[in-house]
Amino acid sequence: MSNVSFGQYYPTQSFVHKCDPRQKIVFLIVFIVAVSLSTTFYALGACAFVLALAVAFSRIPFKSLLKSVKAVIFLLLFTAILNLFFHKGETPLWEGSFITKEAVYFTLFLSIRLCLLVLASSLLTLTTSPVSLTDGVESLLTPLKWIRFPVHELALIMSLALRFIPTLGEQTSRIMNAQKARGANFETGSLIKRAKAVIPILIPLLISAFRSSEELGDAMNARCYSGSKKRTKYKKLTFGWRDLLSFLLVVALLVGVIVMRAYLPAL
Amino acid sequence: MEAIQFEKVHFSYEDADDAEVFASDSAFSLCGIDLTVEEGEFVAVLGHNGSGKSTLARLSNALLLPREGKITVFGMDTADEKNAFAIREKVGIVFQNPDNQTVASIVEDDVAFGPENVGVERAEIGKRIDFALNAVGMQDYRHFAVSRLSGGQKQRVAIAGVLALKPKVMILDESTAMLDPKGRKEVMDVVYRLNREEKITVIVITHFPEEALMADRAIVMNHGKIVAQGDPKTVLADEVALANCSLALPKSLELCRRLQERGVDIPDSFDAETIACEIAKRLHGKAVLAQDEQGMLLEDEVAGRIVCQNVHHIYDGETTFSSHALNGATLTVNSGDFFGVIGRTGSGKSTFVQHLNALIKLPTAEKRYKEKKRKKSAPVEETVLRVGEFDLTKKTTDFTALRKYVGMVFQYPEYQLFAETVFEDVAFGLRNFRADMDKTEVENAVREAIETVGLCYEEIKDRSPFDLSGGQRRRVAIAGVIVTKPEILVLDEPSAGLDPLGKKEIMELLHSIHKTWCKTVIVVSHDMDEVAENCNRIALFVGGKVLAVDAPSALFTTDFVKDEGGLDVPFIATIAHKLYEKGIEMHCPYTLKGFVNAVANAGRDGNE
Repeated sequence: MSNVSFGQYYPTQSFVHKCDPRQKIVFLIVFIVAVSLSTTFYALGACAFVLALAVAFSRIPFKSLLKSVKAVIFLLLFTAILNLFFHKGETPLWEGSFITKEAVYFTLFLSIRLCLLVLASSLLTLTTSPVSLTDGVESLLTPLKWIRFPVHELALIMSLALRFIPTLGEQTSRIMNAQKARGANFETGSLIKRAKAVIPILIPLLISAFRSSEELGDAMNARCYSGSKKRTKYKKLTFGWRDLLSFLLVVALLVGVIVMRAYLPAL
Repeated sequence: MEAIQFEKVHFSYEDADDAEVFASDSAFSLCGIDLTVEEGEFVAVLGHNGSGKSTLARLSNALLLPREGKITVFGMDTADEKNAFAIREKVGIVFQNPDNQTVASIVEDDVAFGPENVGVERAEIGKRIDFALNAVGMQDYRHFAVSRLSGGQKQRVAIAGVLALKPKVMILDESTAMLDPKGRKEVMDVVYRLNREEKITVIVITHFPEEALMADRAIVMNHGKIVAQGDPKTVLADEVALANCSLALPKSLELCRRLQERGVDIPDSFDAETIACEIAKRLHGKAVLAQDEQGMLLEDEVAGRIVCQNVHHIYDGETTFSSHALNGATLTVNSGDFFGVIGRTGSGKSTFVQHLNALIKLPTAEKRYKEKKRKKSAPVEETVLRVGEFDLTKKTTDFTALRKYVGMVFQYPEYQLFAETVFEDVAFGLRNFRADMDKTEVENAVREAIETVGLCYEEIKDRSPFDLSGGQRRRVAIAGVIVTKPEILVLDEPSAGLDPLGKKEIMELLHSIHKTWCKTVIVVSHDMDEVAENCNRIALFVGGKVLAVDAPSALFTTDFVKDEGGLDVPFIATIAHKLYEKGIEMHCPYTLKGFVNAVANAGRDGNE
């Protein structure tokens, strides 16, 4: 439970860390679009280059970044195998082979694409503290306030969820240990048996979550919380030269990908 | 000026408008409270669980509204909705659970939450964060993640979060109940300073009499009523009145009283130095000598014995927080011991006990350690870990049987209850370990376990565990562990979060389990007075090593518990040490009873 990489902010002071979270979110979105629009290995190469640049400037050890890929490795292998066998192609890999050349290319292409998406997303969470991330989301969604969308509340819920991940993780492992000590077995047995074994963990966890939320509500009220009205923000988001630079970079990437899409033959 | 004023306040959690329900006083959580707190005062509110003292806190800043009567805060009526935020800005509350009151993940963001809510300008918020964190001594932790702090530090951040609103009054609603003694002292020191230096009115709600002694005024509550108030030194000296409210005397005064009962004629005092002086005067230089009370030690018996040599453990090597949790721990727990395990947070004591029933499996954990060692090509010493008949260094050990052999009660065990009825919850372990038992056997075992923990089987078996009181829930949780009759029972902070009386009852319960049920009991505790009072031998953990294993009277005589271990010394040991410094030869047990006996006997000899 302690090695959950999601939301695990890696605190250093780097170029990427100092970027405006809004810009980083925009960067990620544009990057995702660029990756999705890529139709050739050249285009993917360009995306990979931009991401590598971002990673290099983030000073995140590559090992921590790779952990995020480890988390989706099953999904990756599953889709890869599926595609390898079922993607329609013409030229067999060798005489009489069931797998085709096109399938291999396509699988490779898809896997790289998926890896790029996962790496880029975890780069965001690794370089942006949960608080500034939610600040960024709140700020980006501000226009939605016009249609009475509860932007502030949403952001608050997000930041509270992030805040409680380590607490709940700790509680889960404590309850699991306690039930294990009473002979509970989560590792073996049929699927139904294992699903049943979760109940002694789930119920205490839910109850303590409810209790926590009640107490938290009181604590927030006691500190004068009243929703978004007349609230100020301690941390101001500023769009600086770093943001401009990285914004131009990712826009250039998008343009490049679109151009390649138009002029290079698709895979 | 009056900061807070209660006038004939009644409050009830019942929602009904039914006049009949409220005909009797028992329907009210607060019943006719008249109370005035002056600006700048330091007030302590004492009371056992359910006495209404927490309700008092929530009423004071309009989180709750009175059913009858009137509450004013600096002249503002709390019943008027328009005042709610002005009142909450003036009256801050710090709650009990350090984990449930921080809103943000990072310290400074959490402190900023209050000022943001009331619309303070950005530059001013920055200044307020500086001020608040400085006031609680946490300025170096400004950019830290809250989840990485200790309990005492989290509570200090919570205090800073309240301070950032620049309140006039600060209420601590049992804010120290879930902390270890060190964290408790940290918090109380901060609160005391705020009152004296920043002139903040402080109301401390607590069940620790020692904390009430710091106050200008103590108020005792029972069943929703104020039963006594006045100078803490007077209020806390009335043993009978306190006992009627299920409260205890401060440790210092309790020692005086017990000595007086045994004919050692010393005056009441709350100060260790004075008490030691007075005792010394009565002893006329006579030595205090008495044997340690020996329990039923069975040194040669294998059942219930733990032999541990050279156990190492490293947590996940990849994180920046990896460390040697255990670094060659060596100790022996004899069969029949009531064994104490002490050490600061992170000294390896929890890691050690988790080895005992293979929640951490030694063969797997050892591999990681040995690989690291091999790289450094250092010689690997042989590791031994035997629990009763089980050899835990072997992969072939039957770990299920081991877990039945070693019962383990975790901190706040009541939070692990899950079943619909008490019976089902207690039977959970039985059904896992003893599938062979038939219905009557299970029922008998469950009945026996529930009765052993001091609850009435017929009354409680069909109730939901969540309807019970906190103390009852903890007992049910303990019953759920001892029901399989483990030879060894391990408890991590069994009395954490309880009031002094509850602590005493739980320890008495453990002694009775020790006598009739489990051969060996191991207690991990932060409360030095508790281990000195109850354990026959204690192991001191420092930095993953066992620094010493000895009887309390030997262990706490040496200074290194304080110097190397970074721990407090039990109150009795402090007195004994002071007497020793006054030139009196001391050798006696450090339990209250044993010490009083020894001093009384020595005093009598002196008079003859």
